[in-house]
Amino acid sequence: MVFSSVGFLFRFLPIFMILYLIMPAKYRNMILLAGSLVFYGVGEPYFVLLLVLSVLVNFALSRYMFWEPKSPQNNRKKKAARRRKRALILALLFDFGALFVFKYWDFVVENVNGLAGNQILPYLALALPLGISFYTFQMVSYQLDCYWEKVPEKAGLLEFATYICMFPQLIAGPIVRYGEIAERMKERRIRIRDLENGLKLFAVGLGLKVLLANQIGTLWNTIMTAGPGNLHVMVAWLGALAYSFQIYFDFWGYSVMAMGLGKMLGFRIPRNFDNPYASRSIAEFWRRWHITLGSWFREYVYIPLGGNRKGSARTVFNLFVVWALTGFWHGADWNFLLWGIGFFLVISLEKKTYGKWMERSLVLGHLYTLLLIPITWVIFAITDIRQLGAYLANMVGIHTGGVLVGTGQFARYLKEYGFLLIACVFFVTVFPKKWYHKWKDRWFMVVFLLLIFWWSVYEIVVGSNNPFLYFRF
Amino acid sequence: MSRQKIKKWLENVYNCPYLIMVVVSSVIAMLCFDEIGIRFFDNNISTERTVSVVGDIVRAEENQALGDPPATLEETPDSGETNTEIQNVISETMGGESENAGERKKEEAVLEDNNELNIESQDAQTQEIQEDTEKGVTKFLPYTPLEIESRYYSDAGKIALTTEYPYTIANDSYFNDAAFLGDSRTLGIYDYVGLEGADFFCDNGMTIFKLLKDDGVTEQGTGHKVDLKQVLQERHYGKIYIMLGMNELGYGNTTMYMQEYLSVVHQIRAWQPDAIIFIMANLHVSREKNNMETEFNNININDKNVACARLANGVDIFYLDSNPMFTDAEGFLQSEMTFDGVHLYAKHYDKWRQFLTEHGVEKATPNEDTE
Repeated sequence: MVFSSVGFLFRFLPIFMILYLIMPAKYRNMILLAGSLVFYGVGEPYFVLLLVLSVLVNFALSRYMFWEPKSPQNNRKKKAARRRKRALILALLFDFGALFVFKYWDFVVENVNGLAGNQILPYLALALPLGISFYTFQMVSYQLDCYWEKVPEKAGLLEFATYICMFPQLIAGPIVRYGEIAERMKERRIRIRDLENGLKLFAVGLGLKVLLANQIGTLWNTIMTAGPGNLHVMVAWLGALAYSFQIYFDFWGYSVMAMGLGKMLGFRIPRNFDNPYASRSIAEFWRRWHITLGSWFREYVYIPLGGNRKGSARTVFNLFVVWALTGFWHGADWNFLLWGIGFFLVISLEKKTYGKWMERSLVLGHLYTLLLIPITWVIFAITDIRQLGAYLANMVGIHTGGVLVGTGQFARYLKEYGFLLIACVFFVTVFPKKWYHKWKDRWFMVVFLLLIFWWSVYEIVVGSNNPFLYFRF
Repeated sequence: MSRQKIKKWLENVYNCPYLIMVVVSSVIAMLCFDEIGIRFFDNNISTERTVSVVGDIVRAEENQALGDPPATLEETPDSGETNTEIQNVISETMGGESENAGERKKEEAVLEDNNELNIESQDAQTQEIQEDTEKGVTKFLPYTPLEIESRYYSDAGKIALTTEYPYTIANDSYFNDAAFLGDSRTLGIYDYVGLEGADFFCDNGMTIFKLLKDDGVTEQGTGHKVDLKQVLQERHYGKIYIMLGMNELGYGNTTMYMQEYLSVVHQIRAWQPDAIIFIMANLHVSREKNNMETEFNNININDKNVACARLANGVDIFYLDSNPMFTDAEGFLQSEMTFDGVHLYAKHYDKWRQFLTEHGVEKATPNEDTE
């Protein structure tokens, strides 16, 4: 189920919230877990079993990690340490193994077979279980936190399962660490204000997703439909810009909806985005874009590898590992690796040379970031390497087959999407957030949010009843 | 105690106007609108309702547009009777020779004997047929149809081929008195084929149902919305190309589509008596895009194509099928030619230009009946 659907908004959510609120507080985790499994199971009736299995295996291993035999033993400490390590390794093997099989196997097979020149490995052609990248990372974070004894209090099975499966963040993050919500997992009060504010946040997120991301996405599609290779420079940049807006509002909107839902349930889900496009360097961009993923890689990969404390050569290597993995986490294809390595190059360069200087400058830093970011998103978006090359070439004015999509089409796109583009630019700035927090309790904001909510619902209903609305030919 | 508590509670509620408004408006909306309301649970009711609503809209629009609908037809697109009925209606309304229609049927009968034919063997069959070109005949290649449970379409069980005719090679000035009417794919022809002299009236999402309505169509080049009814009465065109049917895949059903197409062609014929009307096939979609669980598949597209191909008379109405240029052996649009599985990349429109150029019709003696 996705948040922006009638089924979620007018079936699942009301029924779930009523049950959640009227039942005594001690049953809340149970209801939340059951609701979350329904939420996941509706869309993924088979993979919900994988999710349950993963939760059980991880919970068992996390317990085994600190299990002590009752009978007296020699070398008690040594054995306990070995057991801990064994449990951790098993957990990592299981979690990353499942992720590898479902997400990366076919990609590896394709390349190995390609290199070998014949079919030495079989394709599995498995569908990707929804949210597996996110919940795997969350489970791994729990195991490592347990191993390092960073978890304040061990979770019980119900708490652990609820933490992993909690529907607001199950399928697209934010990646929450157990320590961040452990207290609330034990006990939480839900005030009426939380419901109010949570719902408001939800409307904001829904609007970002349905009214901005979905709509501007059609411009990117239109341009890709014409085909990379024959795009005028302006059209190529317009497309890159449209995609940059689409992916940001889509993901940001989803994260804001998750935060709002979390609030309504009595949790505090960490924010995932902090005006990333207003950054002055790429390093800063990644401190503001998908914050929970960035901190996951910092905490569980970069710092364990030694971070920047083992000399500059090692730092560069660590950065490379982190960014290559970040790239591959987003998808199993070469363009994602290229995308990650691009960030590695730029961020290393920034670290060594102009980064600090850029972040101090007023205009130059912004220009530099705004110029680079759309290019990185193009690399992210186009999986076919040949097409990617053609698109990037178009962005610098190189055309192999002549310009077919020229200024005429550019003018038409502007006419059609001009207003939406202006709205997108506005929502990229820091003002909407500022104004929201300043005025969120004023009556005009309340009315405005209500309008946003129903406008979004209208778009969803029309879009789902008429699948051709967003695919008009 | 309780009074204090109630007061406190009321205060809280007063401080949550948004929550209250959302809840109240949602309850009202769920009671009033089936799309999000309780009745949504009951799939049958919701589907029935949508069908009847769509039916009503289409019927209402039809009556409005035609004033005098050509015939009242039952809404059973797959019944052979209806098809014959339409065939008769068409031949009568279009002034096309009924022998022609008969001939076509004979042709079908012959071909239908060979039941093992399927789409894959289309090429061989095409060649065979083209050896003895019969001027002005639009042939249909039968294959074994699939059972389709859809209110939008059925499997036509045949493929319409380009109307047979000694087409001439068109020169550049040929398209100077041409008009193209269509959806986003016609927009693609405007954008990338580069027929400078022709007029283009097309919009994303255009349908045969909307074409002649008051809302208008964008005239590409000027970018203004124009009322096509007016334009077709005021200007004079020698050729009119129509390519519509994609946005109709999930709207009404094939019979309605055909009826509307018929009335549109009829109208255009009345305003443009000298024009040659080209009915262009809707391009198939790619294998990835082809989805049998929705209406979005090549069987539906083919159903629409067969329906509009029936309007061709080989005299001043021709059916042009450009699919063979872009599809693979199984009839899917070739994946490497498209991003979204529906539209060709800009660079492939070259072929379309060639196709249009190769299918010129010179009208030697206009206004003369070919009886």
